[in-house]
Amino acid sequence: MNPNNYLILAGILFTIGAFGVVVRRNAIIVFMSVEMMLNAANLAFATAARTTGTLDGQVAAFFVMVVAAAEVVVGLAIIVTIFRTRRSASIDEANLLKY
Amino acid sequence: MNGESVVFWITAIFAVVGALGMVLSRKAVHSALWVAFAMVNLAVLYFTLQAPFLATTQIVVYTGAVMMLFLFVLMIVGVDSSDSLLETLKGQRLLATLFGLAFGALLLSGVASTIALRDNGLDVANGDYGGNIQGIAHLVFNRYLLAFEVTSALLITAVIGAMVLAHRERWAPRKTQAELSRERTFTSQVTPLPNPGVLARHNAVDTPALLPDGTPSQASLPKQFRETSHEDEAAKEVTS
Amino acid sequence: MKPSFEYAALAPIVIMLTAGVLSVVIEAFVPRTYRRGLQLPLVFVSIAGSFVYLVSSATAILNGDAAMTGGQYQGLRQIAAGGSVAIDGPGMFTQGTLLLVAFVGALLFAERSVDPQGDAFASRASTLPGSEDERQFTAQGWSQTEIWPLFLFAVSGMLLFPVSNDLLTMFIALEVLSLPLYLLAGMARRRRLLSQEASLKYFVLGAFSSAFFLFGSALIYSVAGSMTFGTVATALTDTLQDPILLTGVGLIAVGLLFKVGAVPFHQWTPDVYQGSPTPLVAFMGAGTKIAAFGALFRTFYVAFGGLRWEWRPMMWVIAILTMVVGSILAVTQTDIKRMLAYSSVAHTGFILIALVATTPSGISSSLFYLLAYGFTTLGVFALVSLVRDSTGEATHLSQWAGLGKKSPVVASIFALFLFALAGIPLTSGFTGKFAVFTAGVEGGANALVIVAVVSSAIAAFFYARVVVLMFFTPETENTADVVIPSYFTIAAIGISTAVTLLLGIVPQPVLDAVVKAGVFVR
Repeated sequence: MNPNNYLILAGILFTIGAFGVVVRRNAIIVFMSVEMMLNAANLAFATAARTTGTLDGQVAAFFVMVVAAAEVVVGLAIIVTIFRTRRSASIDEANLLKY
Repeated sequence: MNGESVVFWITAIFAVVGALGMVLSRKAVHSALWVAFAMVNLAVLYFTLQAPFLATTQIVVYTGAVMMLFLFVLMIVGVDSSDSLLETLKGQRLLATLFGLAFGALLLSGVASTIALRDNGLDVANGDYGGNIQGIAHLVFNRYLLAFEVTSALLITAVIGAMVLAHRERWAPRKTQAELSRERTFTSQVTPLPNPGVLARHNAVDTPALLPDGTPSQASLPKQFRETSHEDEAAKEVTS
Repeated sequence: MKPSFEYAALAPIVIMLTAGVLSVVIEAFVPRTYRRGLQLPLVFVSIAGSFVYLVSSATAILNGDAAMTGGQYQGLRQIAAGGSVAIDGPGMFTQGTLLLVAFVGALLFAERSVDPQGDAFASRASTLPGSEDERQFTAQGWSQTEIWPLFLFAVSGMLLFPVSNDLLTMFIALEVLSLPLYLLAGMARRRRLLSQEASLKYFVLGAFSSAFFLFGSALIYSVAGSMTFGTVATALTDTLQDPILLTGVGLIAVGLLFKVGAVPFHQWTPDVYQGSPTPLVAFMGAGTKIAAFGALFRTFYVAFGGLRWEWRPMMWVIAILTMVVGSILAVTQTDIKRMLAYSSVAHTGFILIALVATTPSGISSSLFYLLAYGFTTLGVFALVSLVRDSTGEATHLSQWAGLGKKSPVVASIFALFLFALAGIPLTSGFTGKFAVFTAGVEGGANALVIVAVVSSAIAAFFYARVVVLMFFTPETENTADVVIPSYFTIAAIGISTAVTLLLGIVPQPVLDAVVKAGVFVR
């Protein structure tokens, strides 16, 4: 089978992910779209590893997974913090003004 | 059509459906499940790409850890969350759609119009060190050793970040049960506060309880429903 | 087989990473009251040590004294860590600039007497803004000492980013430098809602752009069969016109141009600059730009050098857009931090001229420009953090009216930095712009230089507007106060002022040094 098909699939997934980032307004869904883009990149790496006959691409995909895991922790921590602040902001408005 | 093509076309279609489901679902939870679905399909594709290690890691790290973390956060934020944390702009959706289509066309034409890539296969590379995992390990601990070491900085940063933003500390030592009961005994209100609606005509939370002399007791209400303008007065009522 | 790991060449990075880990250990085991007392010496000693090592090894190489580093260097050109890192003149110069910027940035981070409540970061970032918890923590004088390990890791990432010699190491360095900055951006003591929003925007757009970088890397790798720059460069000469290659170059450009803040990938800049704590803006604005330009130059000169006729038109357009949009939008701003953010966008455009030049003088002039720009940015934001009212920093331009009468010293130094940003002679900005424009003309980018001169003129207008506002506008009751900082900020402002003036009046030693730094190793 022509390995270009894998690359085209990766391109489609990447585009859908990028589309999700610009269209959706919920921060969590935006972030999931970024993850989808990273997955598409991983697929491209794995494909390229097979077509070039080197394992560097698989190593790259492996590193991307590690990076993505760290990034998810940071991103979700930021999102949770904002959510807590915004939800309580309406309740604590008086406090905010006093400050 | 060989076995690989069959697997490819089925999982490729599933993966695209999963990605589209993520973008088009209204609720964040549905999006997360669609992403997990797409990721499992990608794991299958890794097997056909002679990357068994990646396939396993994909399932363990992405669907197992990353997506579950997403679901955890969705539970914290509220399953029904569809609130927007980013700003809204006029006509943004239309522009974004146009941008997406243009970008997709550009990217896909770039990728698709390329000359067919040679399919070298990984049999040689996998065989060099006795297997796929051994080959990857060789690269990680030799060629990409620095990258591997630096990744630890990334993981430490993530841990510190989560601690800094989410770990709540106490500014005063927690009161023991003995202290709490002693404090309470020295106030005039030793018994619990009257419940809302007790001895009143309604039992709604915003209806004050009636005291034995017939006057409504603001102390029986949750703070938000008290009539007094100062929160302190209600507290005084309790303690005096 | 033993992996190759040249400690001598990698020492500056290794020192900073080790310091970061030690800093985490301090956070974990030392009682809260002693942490700051240990973190500050660790940070300053490690940065200074790293810098001294870097300079001594660079001079040793330049003087031909190879024995000092174990005889491993072949001049200023070495590929280290199995091909992951390229230690060469421009790389080492960028690293040196970054360490200096980090040192001054750390001085600003350590400042505690500008805000009566403490440093610029929240007493506890996990408390809700305006809550009783936050009030108590602030009243008890807590401070978030976890900023120091984050700071050190960001510096480590910045040091690795411009010397990465393959796309994978570059991606990881990019993340190592970015993640701590995303976190620090959301930790402002005052106006934390704005700060958190800045953090979210920075994070989402940063992750978005690094995905582009990654997909581009995958496409390049699928053609070249390797991610190492040297191999990519050789492979590209065979397959010049492949569309997949150009797509890959374009995607990598998106990822890197986002980090330097070029139009149309600049949208995060004003929001992040406005919302983040000011010491962080100073450090991030200078450091990220220097590191990212280092990486951008290395990628496009070394790996994609053979494709320069393909990517130069794209960079032309982006450079023009960046200069014009940055200058014009800066004119319309009413917030001083936002205005400086757009001015930083315009400066990105000027440095892109050096990239388009694709000559050795393009590299050397950009190195000089980045050094000059880094210190001007540090100085300008250090001064912004001093102008305050009762709610925190007074960033609205109307609050700067008549500041020259209230505090002539601060207003004069601020004016000096604005002149440097505008490129007035006798400041570092002039020398930098002159070097970059000369390189542009040499490289055949005359039209770009003309656009740059015109947008410099537009930019001079809004810098002059602030100067007029400070000195020739009567004071109102709205005018902010200037607080007297501790020695930390005074030192930071002093160093920045000295560098800005020295590079303007006697730039020759540094101009010689950047020429000596030479070109990238392949």
